[in-house]
Amino acid sequence: MEEQHIASAFDRDLEGIQARIMKMGGLVEAAIVDAARALETRDEELAQQVRSNDKAIDEMEEQINVEAARLIAIRSPTASDLRLVLSVMKISANLERIGDYAKNMAKRTVVLAQGPSVQDSTSALRRMAREVERMLKDALDAYIQRDVELAADIIARDRDVDQMYNALFRQLLTFMMEDPRNITPCMHLHFIAKNTERMGDHVTSVAEQVIYLVTGEKPDESRVKADITSTNIQEM
Amino acid sequence: MNDMMMLLERDVDVQDIKIKASNVQVHYGETHAVKDVDVQIADKTVTAFIGPSGCGKSTFLRCLNRMNDTIQTCKVQGEILLDGEDMYDKRVDPVQLRAKVGMVFQKPNPFPKSIYDNVAYGPQIHGLFNSKTELDEIVEQALRRAAIWDEVKDRLNAPGTGLSGGQQQRLCIARAVATEPEVLLMDEPCSALDPIATAQVEELIDELRQRFSVVIVTHSMQQAARVSQKTAFFHLGKLVEFGETGQIFTNPIDPRTESYITGRIG
Repeated sequence: MEEQHIASAFDRDLEGIQARIMKMGGLVEAAIVDAARALETRDEELAQQVRSNDKAIDEMEEQINVEAARLIAIRSPTASDLRLVLSVMKISANLERIGDYAKNMAKRTVVLAQGPSVQDSTSALRRMAREVERMLKDALDAYIQRDVELAADIIARDRDVDQMYNALFRQLLTFMMEDPRNITPCMHLHFIAKNTERMGDHVTSVAEQVIYLVTGEKPDESRVKADITSTNIQEM
Repeated sequence: MNDMMMLLERDVDVQDIKIKASNVQVHYGETHAVKDVDVQIADKTVTAFIGPSGCGKSTFLRCLNRMNDTIQTCKVQGEILLDGEDMYDKRVDPVQLRAKVGMVFQKPNPFPKSIYDNVAYGPQIHGLFNSKTELDEIVEQALRRAAIWDEVKDRLNAPGTGLSGGQQQRLCIARAVATEPEVLLMDEPCSALDPIATAQVEELIDELRQRFSVVIVTHSMQQAARVSQKTAFFHLGKLVEFGETGQIFTNPIDPRTESYITGRIG
């Protein structure tokens, strides 16, 4: 809606809450990039920083929820305004979860840095995290531009992330079979990979919110789940 | 199973069309106040008419029981059917029609008579009772339905005009339901009421729709959202959008509806 509200304070409130989402999104993007870099470069200090920065992300989610509740109480939003407030609440919850996964990656990085590194799986993880971060950046752009096409593209791109995860799953399993000493680091790496794959799902949910916000309809749930590891049987 | 069939049957009932208006035009002298309105009012449903001042919603509402007949300069064209019968047919007696299609106005307008006589008036002129006892029952039941019985039962002979604004409005609603109408038209029935009286009237509207269809004109969008199942949005004399209330308030189709309900045009 480009038209202004008669009550201009309502416009300011809606702009304000969206600005908070963008700021929160920026913090979460940085958390993904930093967590992945800390993992690859075994940078414990950076990992610690990611962990402590997560508090700011959690606080922003809380602020957005308080603000959304206030908007509902005071403005009784309807139609696209209502969808905007609902989408803001959902997106902030998605961003908060992504932030948690980044924090968890950083936590495991501190443990992993104590032992030997496991071949090139950390750089594969970084590529995966990089893709998720790009998707998130595009999802936030799609949100602010109200770009349904870009949002649909992001939902499609989640397949790539799922496939990267499938490949890592096999690779890590192979390492563990080769040498039981790899089991501990590989278990941690696997959790990181799974969490990154989940981040992709949350980004997809953000993109779905963009479509709902603009069209008032949920994108159809025919999206193919490309994570096939839940049915994977490894020959010993 | 039987219960289920009853429910299904009831569902079908809900969908029955009570009033069907086609191609309705209203002119006030030179002014074209209502343009090309087609709408179907379902039975046992609350339909809300919303729209900015001067959009034609009240004028259109008044067409539904021929209240515009008395205005010399007003010309109504098109077709309005009540249960399939043209309510503008020359053979239709407007007084009889208004017993079937009752109306409650924006400002409470009790007669300068006792509370009892206000409610008894309609049944008296339409001869809807055989004895004084029966009339007493009709009056009591109407006052109960309008959620005002407990407040007035001890002073039924006191003048209706001595009640508070909210009570007067509920008295007018009692008067309107006493003739057992099939349709109740309400033109901003709560605009002169405080929030508590408003809530009581809204609760009452919800009860009334069990038995007949209610059409309400309101300037409060929240009220339209709360009480109605169907909402019609009027703008510049035209019916812009008509649909399920939930859909109108979450995802309206027409950008003009969107602008109005989100507070972007006045």
